[in-house]
Amino acid sequence: MQRRTFLTGAFVGTAALALGVNLYPNKVEAPAEDLYSRLLFSVLVPVFLDGMLPEVAKPREIVINRTLDAISEAIKVLPSEQQQELAELLGQLESRLGLLLLSGSVTPLIMRQPQQLISMLESWRFHYLQLLQTAYLGLRELVMASYYACPEHWGGIGYAKPSFLLK
Amino acid sequence: MSISDPIENGLKGGWLHIDASTLQVSRHFEADVVIVGTGAGGGVAADILTQAGLKVIMIEAGALKSSKDFDMEERTAYPNLYQQAASMKTADKGISIFQGRTVGGATTINWTTSIRTPEPTLDFWAKEKSVVGLDTQSLAPWFDTMEQQLNISTWLYEPNRNNGALLEGCNKLGWQSTVIKRNVKGCWNTGYCGMGCPVNAKQSMLVTTIPSALDAGAQLISRAKVMQIEHSEGKVTGLKAQVVNTNFEPRGTTLTFSAKHYILSAGAIHTPALLMRSNTPDPFELLGRTFLHPSLLSGGIYDEQIKGHSGAPQSIYSDEFVWRDGASGDLGYKLEVAPVHPVLVASKTLGYGQSHAELMKNFNRMQVVIALIRDGFNEQCPGGQVRLTDSGFALDYPLTDGFWQGAKRAFLSMAELQFAAGAKQVRPMTEGLPQLNSWAEAKAEIETADLGLLRTVVASAHVMGGCPMGEDRLISMVNSEGSSHYLENLSVMDGSVFPTSLGANPQLSIYALVARNASLLAQRLKPVVG
Repeated sequence: MQRRTFLTGAFVGTAALALGVNLYPNKVEAPAEDLYSRLLFSVLVPVFLDGMLPEVAKPREIVINRTLDAISEAIKVLPSEQQQELAELLGQLESRLGLLLLSGSVTPLIMRQPQQLISMLESWRFHYLQLLQTAYLGLRELVMASYYACPEHWGGIGYAKPSFLLK
Repeated sequence: MSISDPIENGLKGGWLHIDASTLQVSRHFEADVVIVGTGAGGGVAADILTQAGLKVIMIEAGALKSSKDFDMEERTAYPNLYQQAASMKTADKGISIFQGRTVGGATTINWTTSIRTPEPTLDFWAKEKSVVGLDTQSLAPWFDTMEQQLNISTWLYEPNRNNGALLEGCNKLGWQSTVIKRNVKGCWNTGYCGMGCPVNAKQSMLVTTIPSALDAGAQLISRAKVMQIEHSEGKVTGLKAQVVNTNFEPRGTTLTFSAKHYILSAGAIHTPALLMRSNTPDPFELLGRTFLHPSLLSGGIYDEQIKGHSGAPQSIYSDEFVWRDGASGDLGYKLEVAPVHPVLVASKTLGYGQSHAELMKNFNRMQVVIALIRDGFNEQCPGGQVRLTDSGFALDYPLTDGFWQGAKRAFLSMAELQFAAGAKQVRPMTEGLPQLNSWAEAKAEIETADLGLLRTVVASAHVMGGCPMGEDRLISMVNSEGSSHYLENLSVMDGSVFPTSLGANPQLSIYALVARNASLLAQRLKPVVG
């Protein structure tokens, strides 16, 4: 049910210009329902949340899956315009040409090592092009907000809501 | 413990409330006065006009929620109670904007800070913005009235450590500080005001003026978004609203309204956007000039437990730097603190991976100061502009060189204050700065920092302006009583009438100004419709 994505139309527009493609051929399926999007986030979440995820495999998998569910829920409550912007970005990351443009490599993100993903995110984070900074910020905020929205993840930071209203 | 729920009780008692999302067919409604929006402006206006004997309808795009819905979780509060699920941003994504979308508007989810309109602001409006009749003396009775009605008084309890550090820093540096007045009655001091008060202690419109108006016979229609003002020959002839579903998407059902008088209280973005969308007269293209108090954040890490999520979110502020160079001088900034809750902090800090994890593991030792830049007083930070788009609206808000100079001064002040209060590390929320371990290090680093759009975290919870008041039509859309210059039966009663930002948190200014203007309107309307 969380709530913030922040990708820009400028991102989409500029990418379209560079690629020479029509970015609005059909309505892009909501990324929350898209298997590839879930796969994509499944490789980004461990990078964004490195240091907050359990080291042991099974608990780690549970936390990642919970976060992926939360991302899915978050996207659903966003205004449709923002959902569309996110779908466009994820679509670009799926496309080989888009991926080349955005990250300098055609290797699918799901095939990359964590250090390669960090390099890509660092490049976006400090890039002179605002559209790449925006892509970084949008993904970052969506992942962070979704993870920390889950009460089961609060233990690691010593936070709990008051219990006086708990039934 | 059982919490009395005035909304649940009122609905059982027969309030006239329609959740428009349940309507299957289009409907028409009539009243003496129709009010668009139920926040600080709409709530006060509805109560005053209803008590004056007028038939009032309140229309609200958000849903009617009550204390039983407020579960103290951000994942529930943001999508249910905030505009765009709290994801609203300026067009370039440079500023995050937090604004309410629920019955009670932002008053349902704000942090309760209640400050009278600063005198330098009123003086500036009188001198530069052709506003008449609004000075400290003439407004005092209206502030007194609203403070009494909404239990606004100085917070007498010890500030939480988040606010306490602000006070301590100010004291050590000899800076001005003030104990904040809050609109609470029987506050449990838990710190969850931003997610809706679960014990109905916050005296928001949701539990005060709106129930009062409904008790007196007013009608509330929630989940209806007014899309069009129909007007002809200098008069408003009706309103059209879209019914929205529980996800706030249009359902295709239309509601129409007619009244003798119409009041816009939809907030500083939606009021001007509605006027623009409806092609109402705006010969000097004044609609939509918006002010935000664009705010910078500075995180301090202390040895002690701060627990900034617990306790009254804001109880101390410092005006040391707001008016230092005069209203039209270099940009000033108000220093306050922000409550520290997981989603808010995780998303408004920097980085990811190990560095972010380390920051979050210090969550309970983190103290967050915010600097609210006073915008709209000069060209250093002139404000933004709402424009219509195919899907709604966008807000362009260019952050100028003058703003970034002010931001740098603000980061310096916040770091100095936090180190004075005992912080071991300070992290200004802007990319590229290292962790700062002393005031000397902070001073050197911040002075050479490269602040800029998207690199620096900028946020706002104070949307103002967009339909300015004044007597000079060259610079104003409504007069100093909120009446439209162009449509004789239209008033604007919300923060959109402010001709600049305030330099203070806006809720009490809206309460008092609207109390005055709605009372004047009630006197005018009663003989006509009585």
